[in-house]
Amino acid sequence: MSEQIISRPPLPKKPFNPTPVWLSAWLALMWVIVFDLELSFETLLYGVQDIFEYLSRYSTPNFEDLSRYIELLAQTLATALWGSALAFVVAVVLAPFAARNLTPNPLAYRVARELLNFMRAMPDLLLALIFVAALGLGPLPGALALGVHTAGFLGKFFAESFERVDGGVYEALSATGASRMQVVMYAGWPSIQREALGYVLYIFDRNVRMASVLGLVGAGGIGLALHDTLRMFNYDQSAALIIVILVTILIIDYLSTWLRGKLN
Amino acid sequence: MSSSKLCWPTPNGLPALMPTAVLAVSILLLVISASSVELNLVRLFNAIPRMFDFASNLFVTPDWEYLPTLGANMLQTMEMTFLATSIALVISLPLGVMAAKNASPHPAIFHATRNLLTMMRALPELVWALVFVSAVGLGPLPGIMALSFVTIGFMGKFFAESIEVVDPRQVEGVVAHGASWLQLRTFAHFPQAFPDFVGTVMYILDHNLRAAAILGLVGAGGIGYDLVMAMRMFDYGRLLPIAISIYVVVTLLDRASDKFRRRLI
Repeated sequence: MSEQIISRPPLPKKPFNPTPVWLSAWLALMWVIVFDLELSFETLLYGVQDIFEYLSRYSTPNFEDLSRYIELLAQTLATALWGSALAFVVAVVLAPFAARNLTPNPLAYRVARELLNFMRAMPDLLLALIFVAALGLGPLPGALALGVHTAGFLGKFFAESFERVDGGVYEALSATGASRMQVVMYAGWPSIQREALGYVLYIFDRNVRMASVLGLVGAGGIGLALHDTLRMFNYDQSAALIIVILVTILIIDYLSTWLRGKLN
Repeated sequence: MSSSKLCWPTPNGLPALMPTAVLAVSILLLVISASSVELNLVRLFNAIPRMFDFASNLFVTPDWEYLPTLGANMLQTMEMTFLATSIALVISLPLGVMAAKNASPHPAIFHATRNLLTMMRALPELVWALVFVSAVGLGPLPGIMALSFVTIGFMGKFFAESIEVVDPRQVEGVVAHGASWLQLRTFAHFPQAFPDFVGTVMYILDHNLRAAAILGLVGAGGIGYDLVMAMRMFDYGRLLPIAISIYVVVTLLDRASDKFRRRLI
């Protein structure tokens, strides 16, 4: 009996659990960064009191100029809308080229992908600065900057949706003798229309948020008013502006969530 | 089958109703709002030569002596991104559990957390950065605070959404073994939602890097300050290296996160 027990094959080695290693590496990196940025948590702790004192200055919003704010808000929304529309048009043109299964040739694929990447990588505030330099102040450079930047996102999303469509759908259409353009129009877009609409809503949502701060670089809208009032320590008006922006963004957030829920 | 070339693939041969209606409404809205954005084609065409002018100005000898500072500032931007994302990750995990319908301890907590997360992500980082800079002074600290504050709102929401779509049968299986409340969340909900979590974290990291690159605009640390100064002073010798470095770092992270996500999912 005892011999049998001894000759039993050894248990397999317990698998190595890498979680503690990763966790400590992560914590160490965080510590190094805190040290390198010279962040002091004492300042933060002392600062908390100041923050509350500072925030209390915003407690009496002044809505006297509400009609002007609404006007600026309309301009902000228009900027976001035009930016999204521009992004949509550019993305619709570029996306079929940037999808691996619809592109006419590998070179077009690479060019379209790199173009989308480039547009995505340029921050919209930088683009806004450039367009303001070229066009002068106003909401138009803001709309252009948002359009160029988000076209990169939208084009990438569309292209990825095209790539996820079952290959049989495209094949069925090609088999009837459809041209590449017809395959895109009658098999590509109809297959992804729900997803695409969801992405457009997301981009519009994002553009409204961004449009409300583009004013910082002179690209019009409510951001400019907020910047000015903050610079002049006009807390009551800043509070009113922040509330106006907050309410608008919340309404758009709920609307787009509701619309997306209806789509699915 | 009509022989006409203009035949839509719908039962009645007319354009599909829904897309046409959506398109018509969008175009109507665009036309109405055109005056609001001061759309002016003449101005737009006049700007094209100025754009080329600007582009030709960009190609000057880079300011070589500035490059070490550029590296340091870019490093600071990346450090801010990493730290802000990590802080937001730690705080938004419990918030995400509380904001998920199937994992929340109580419906009241579910609604309260949901609304809190919506409020947190409503305002853009730059507005919070403006507020925090006024409160704690210049430097990377207000930037990190603004970034983590806003991304807690986004991450908490995404986490909650991925917890809500886990398979209830596997949760039931763990319940049947007599798991406690916390064990249920750690061993049933969490492992199923994990791939989604990683995707979310990569997306947020990407988002934070882009945001951190411009936060310097309001004095909240990172490369943004140099970028705006170079732009304002027409210091083209610095502008191009800054723009290129932002492009390179953002693209590298984008590629890396794509690869990582594809390997995991």
